[in-house]
Amino acid sequence: MNAKNPHSSSFRDPSGYVFIEGGDIKRAINPIYFKQYKALTQSGFYQGLIKNGLLISHKEVSNSDETIVLQADKIPFITYPYEWSFNMYKEAALLTLKIQKYSLEHDFTLKDATAFNITFHKGKAVFIDTLSFDFYIENSPWRAYKQFITHFFGPLVLAHYHGAQQLKMLSNFIDGIPVKMISSMLPLKTKLSPLLYSNIHLLAKLEDKHNEDYKDEAKAAKLSKKGQFNIIESLYNYIKKLELKETSEWGNYYDKINYSDEAFIEKSRIINDWVNAIQPKTLVDIGGNDGTFVRKLEHYVETALVCDIDNNSVDLNHKTMKMNKEEFMLPFVLDILNPSPAIGFNNTERFSFLERVKVFSPEITLALAVIHHISLSGNVPFHNSALFFSSFSKYVIIEFPKREDSWVQRLLKSKREFENHFDYYSIESFESAYGAFFNIKQKETILDSERVLYLLETKS
Amino acid sequence: MYFLYFDPGLGAMIIQTIIAAVAGVVLFSKNLMHKIKVFLGIAKAHKDDVFDDIDVKDSDSENK
Repeated sequence: MNAKNPHSSSFRDPSGYVFIEGGDIKRAINPIYFKQYKALTQSGFYQGLIKNGLLISHKEVSNSDETIVLQADKIPFITYPYEWSFNMYKEAALLTLKIQKYSLEHDFTLKDATAFNITFHKGKAVFIDTLSFDFYIENSPWRAYKQFITHFFGPLVLAHYHGAQQLKMLSNFIDGIPVKMISSMLPLKTKLSPLLYSNIHLLAKLEDKHNEDYKDEAKAAKLSKKGQFNIIESLYNYIKKLELKETSEWGNYYDKINYSDEAFIEKSRIINDWVNAIQPKTLVDIGGNDGTFVRKLEHYVETALVCDIDNNSVDLNHKTMKMNKEEFMLPFVLDILNPSPAIGFNNTERFSFLERVKVFSPEITLALAVIHHISLSGNVPFHNSALFFSSFSKYVIIEFPKREDSWVQRLLKSKREFENHFDYYSIESFESAYGAFFNIKQKETILDSERVLYLLETKS
Repeated sequence: MYFLYFDPGLGAMIIQTIIAAVAGVVLFSKNLMHKIKVFLGIAKAHKDDVFDDIDVKDSDSENK
């Protein structure tokens, strides 16, 4: 049995398991994987991957006949595939292929290719499953090929044809989207593309045919290394060029909203004053759009989570982050009215957003101009949203658009005869409901607008 | 040695030879088209790209 208490998400691979000791992430390796581990270490393969920033770095902390223990670099906040924007997803897919090519060149291979082997850290995708490598056996096909299709290629192609919402499907299919389903959802014309036809439609057909076949023919299947390089490179080129066909929910948000230039500068000035006084190392911006306000902060934060419901905003943030080579920024897609649930066996393989953000416990939460969406679009009463915001951060900065604000008016109008139900939406009832959970530290009206900024401190 | 803790899919193993052949043709023709375009001077210059090539840069990996 495992000597240490394995992490609840780490039981699939018998090579070893992850456990947490004194707040550190450690990985125990079982004797069954010693040979691989030694070869990977001694050949300098691990070092090569780590040096190039492809694999999370680790150090060996103990070594006995029963177990080898590694300690990995700690990642402050893990994002999951169903929280990535289209281009983040692309980056993760390309990283997997890049690592597989590098592995083959060094006579190793990725033995699995799940999207959960990757997360974002210091401004880029990084591979986190140190034990996913095995020896390459001459002329053997890529075992993880189908996994790559169901975890990466399929979802990306579906998103290309049907929109970025498709990427959320992995939260229902933790083992990848069934090939047959991907094939059935793609438009007919995709059968004319040699690459899509062979990698998806034909694969679905063959998988279906061999579904009930348990003879060990898999071992007999042969593929030259050159052939495998061809598959990997053609997928890489295809994915690299893949783009989304949709426009943003917000579009040029900052051009559309009712902010004069002065109000915009003022808003940023007030937020900066407050943030500078608190000096946080970590923060989360709920509804942070493309990260504009976080980038305007004068104070340096180590990790800033910036989430938004809109894929394109997150994509834009991701692109800006790449161009500026920012390491502190961690963008991801999140619908605050339906945050990522806990999934997998025992509901403990992948953690919910709330569980993760509580562990991360950002010092400040920014909720700029989202309260009217939560209250009016989501019908969430002030009491409930206050309870939510008070559950993970010490300070919360909320921007409250008054009833007179044109966005609020628009949202209210859309309620039609139900509009009276939202009579409670006023600054007085906001303050009284939030007063039950927070002390109001600061309050400032943004000049030239119908909006008020609050600095709230959670009551302990 | 492989640990069979997930099903690689029998069909998926067999089919890879076919996919590799298709991929080979696709890669070859794309390369050829690119060369022709470059020759005719109509190949697009590389725009700002956040994604790099599949190859890990040798200069970084050789001094392991």
